Amino acid sequence: MANKRADFDDDDGARVKRIKVEQNGNGKIKDPESNPYLAHWNDQPLKQDPSNSADLLYKFKRHATTAKEANVAEDGPLNPFTGQTLSSNYMGILKKRRDLPVHQQRAEFLKLYQESQILVFVGETGSGKTTQIPQFVLFDDLPQLNNKMVACTQPRRVAAMSVAQRVAEEMDVQLGQEVGYSIRFEDKTSPSTLLKYMTDGMLLREAMHDNNLTKYSTIILDEAHERTLATDILMGLLKEVVLRRKDLKLIIMSATLDATKFQKYFHSAPLLAVPGRTHPVEIFYTPAPERDYVEAALRTVLQIHASEPEGDILLFLTGEEEIEDACRKINLEAQELTREADAGPLVVYPLYGSLPPAQQQKIFNSAPPPLRPGGKPGRKCIVSTNIAETSLTIDGIVYVVDPGFSKQKVYNPRIRVESLLVSPISKASAQQRAGRAGRTRPGKCFRLYTETAFKKELIEQTYPEVLRSNLASTVLELKKLGVDDLVHFDLMDPPAPETLMRALEELNYLSCLDDEGELTALGKLASEFPLDPALAVMLITSPEFYCSNEILSLTALLSVPNIFVRPAAQRKRADEMKDLFAHPDGDHLTMLNVYHAFKRDDAQENPKQWCHDHFLSYRALGQADNVRMQLKRIMERSEIDLMSTPFEDKKYYENIRRALVAGFFMQVARRDGSGKTYTTVKDEQSVLLHPSTVLGQESEWVVYNEFVLTTKNYIRSVTAVKPEWLLDIAPNYYDLSTFKNNEIKKALQRTMNTVMRKESTKNKR
Amino acid sequence: MAQSDEEEDYMSMVFEDAPKAPKHETSLQRAARRRREGEAAARVKSKAELKAEAEAAREESLATALPSSNKGFKMMAKFGFKQGDTLGKSEDARKEPIQINIKEDKGGIGLESEKKRKFMETMAKADKEAKRIKATEGDYLELRRQEQLEKKAERQLYNAQKTAELLAEEAAEENSQGVSQQVPLKDVNVLWRGLARRRLEKNDHQKQERELHNSLASRLPVYHDDEEDNDSKIALGRDADPFYRSLMNDDVEEDSELAIFEALPAADRLRQIALFLREKYHYCFWCGHRYPDATMDGCPGVTEEEHD
Repeated sequence: MANKRADFDDDDGARVKRIKVEQNGNGKIKDPESNPYLAHWNDQPLKQDPSNSADLLYKFKRHATTAKEANVAEDGPLNPFTGQTLSSNYMGILKKRRDLPVHQQRAEFLKLYQESQILVFVGETGSGKTTQIPQFVLFDDLPQLNNKMVACTQPRRVAAMSVAQRVAEEMDVQLGQEVGYSIRFEDKTSPSTLLKYMTDGMLLREAMHDNNLTKYSTIILDEAHERTLATDILMGLLKEVVLRRKDLKLIIMSATLDATKFQKYFHSAPLLAVPGRTHPVEIFYTPAPERDYVEAALRTVLQIHASEPEGDILLFLTGEEEIEDACRKINLEAQELTREADAGPLVVYPLYGSLPPAQQQKIFNSAPPPLRPGGKPGRKCIVSTNIAETSLTIDGIVYVVDPGFSKQKVYNPRIRVESLLVSPISKASAQQRAGRAGRTRPGKCFRLYTETAFKKELIEQTYPEVLRSNLASTVLELKKLGVDDLVHFDLMDPPAPETLMRALEELNYLSCLDDEGELTALGKLASEFPLDPALAVMLITSPEFYCSNEILSLTALLSVPNIFVRPAAQRKRADEMKDLFAHPDGDHLTMLNVYHAFKRDDAQENPKQWCHDHFLSYRALGQADNVRMQLKRIMERSEIDLMSTPFEDKKYYENIRRALVAGFFMQVARRDGSGKTYTTVKDEQSVLLHPSTVLGQESEWVVYNEFVLTTKNYIRSVTAVKPEWLLDIAPNYYDLSTFKNNEIKKALQRTMNTVMRKESTKNKR
Repeated sequence: MAQSDEEEDYMSMVFEDAPKAPKHETSLQRAARRRREGEAAARVKSKAELKAEAEAAREESLATALPSSNKGFKMMAKFGFKQGDTLGKSEDARKEPIQINIKEDKGGIGLESEKKRKFMETMAKADKEAKRIKATEGDYLELRRQEQLEKKAERQLYNAQKTAELLAEEAAEENSQGVSQQVPLKDVNVLWRGLARRRLEKNDHQKQERELHNSLASRLPVYHDDEEDNDSKIALGRDADPFYRSLMNDDVEEDSELAIFEALPAADRLRQIALFLREKYHYCFWCGHRYPDATMDGCPGVTEEEHD
């Protein structure tokens, strides 16, 4: 299948907040020319040399091609786009492509595409829409004639890469030539690129510098039903762009769910639906609510294994720990079943975002053979997060076990917390999960809740990301996109007004917006960085604290998944290793120590081994290295000086901590009395330091990177700061007249008095 | 000593003044106060307490909307945003942020609401039971009250009837110039005819009893003193002449007029009699006074309430 490669970048890891920069596969350094983020700085050369294309397509008239003509062109013998002879591999694939459900409706699609500027296309999983529709468009839109491209967005980077790979193969071209992809920090396109798969976030970034997206003649928003933040913003933007650019065509592609909503949003655009190729799935409910869904899930899996015919099992759970634990238990029980009850062998694979790729690939292994000839067939059981819900297809799944929960990002502007919480899934999600059982043959889905609960408790659709996110960085992007009136920006599902209010306020305190809501110079500069505004501002202002090199490293480290590895079996050893790098003043400085050690020659000799020995994630550190490189280029372009305080200087660490305050002054907490609890400034939430911190309990004031909401409130990645820095560096935020009368205000007042006294004595001298 | 006014009512729950802080805190007092405050601040709260506090603070913040003093609000106001508006152009846009629900256990979907439903059911049952008890209580009290009222009205009615009868007899005596006449029952005013009838019945009854007794005694094989003369008989409570007079005209005639009147509630009957007394005799039952003329100067009104 086209997107057989798993997408492992789903934000199911614990660190959602600041992951904006994504991994670059092997961690190789890219030259600036190939950096798509910088693509707008490179002049776009004229892409087409007409002699390079086959003559065949020049007979076509733009937006008048029939399915028949296109079929003939596809049949060869010459490649209509390159003029090369088509390979036998191509012919083989072509045959399969013609069997796909979308192919039946090629004529119908072309008719609607030609007639309308906007089209909503609905295709169930397995219809072939992601690979075929863009090709159908190519044969009719003929972007090469106008020196334009067709863009097809994907919510996930891995999907963009793997689909581009597949389509390049289908079109018998080299990936990166006629068909390419563009994801953050990796651009695999060339001047001859006609079809570009890209992440939705990437297209949004491009729009920031090219508000009318003039490079494209057709834009296809794929997987729109997933309603990612970037897709929602793009829809709002494109709704306006199509009015300004009558020559731009727009296709919204969605799975069946709620497609009429898209139609309505785009002024009753025509809708074309293609059935998927799925088998019926029988759904079973429990007679009564379950006391423990994990326990019920394990029981169900084992029961399926013991009594159901051949076929693999997919179990949905919520997170890494829960999944690993479940795998262990299923393994033990299954072994016993095999021994005692003559059940077939059962192999269990975990699947979650932070799992190393090599281990993720194991899920594609085929089920084990029977233990003896004629014995009961073996099966595999995959225990996964909601990664397996939409983003990847595992053949052979016949049984789905659905407890009805997933970890979902939530944001609440009232306490300014963005966190991952275990929440009930939506009806749409439950249907999607069930559908996974019917990919190869008729299947069964076991829902671990009652039918009444399904009907009454589950919401219809999962809330779109725009309702569950901090919009500070989106607001900055929109301002850069030239959207001035954010209040009336036509989003499909506008968030609560307080979300926008909070985002504007945060940007104002960060000096990215002035009091009128206009973009400031700092705001413009910050929008250049693919970072959270607080991180961008910290990075931009770091030269004032003589530590931009260190802050650059730190920003990169905060933008990648956790660099510390703590396997359940070796926790003590892992903690000892972490203590080697620990800095008494906090976690940020500790991370920096790790990075510096990682970059030393002795570590670089065999970095993989070194990371393994020190319980560090080689992958995360490699990513951080890459991100650092990319950010450094942007800094150089923006003429932000790179400098360091000499390490011998006693202010080396203090300067870094002060620079930290410049970005994170809105994430500060103060210890209550002498206890263990802290109270966050202004929001007044009672929090505890996350157990992973290296910081002792004696620090009165701390900045934190993350507010983690569980049954307890935690702040994670904390570093000690001094109250006089807060008053000095962020006087607007720490304007005491805006504070409620409480301990924090009193403490800050005392600090202020001390500072003033000191200054007056200084002046007297 | 003018003590009486100043004397404190030590049973009173009203605190006239907050206890006054001593004007001057002695150093010892200050030290003690500081120690107390320090101890309160230094006391390590239990984990449960801390968790509850953190949760309470969170819930409170989550329930509080951002104020319009927020800087972001002002920027939005520039584009015509007002408190209570929504964003965007769709009609059903959100007003409130999505609620945060933290799942604390491994309970399956529907378990919470199942628990809640069961809890509500139990509550509803208990509630219903409590209501039922209360309702019966209320009924009983009301019933008792009605009974009391009824009894009181009966009592008053009896008095009023007595008065009316007395006044009527007085008037009749005056008319007949001292010659007293027995008025036949059916000629007695219906208002107090019941009274007269009951008295009559009672007399008859007693008579019958006596007659029965005598007759029985006469038939029983008792000691019979032939020497007994009539005087002795009377002295022994026996009729001199055993005579079955009353037993023979036992049945009292049907009186439909009286029956209708008696069917009225006691209070109504009482009112009718009171009015009759006023009109006929210028007598106010409630004042207990007979006025010289129809104006009845000095009587506050017709009803009992007016005489309160």
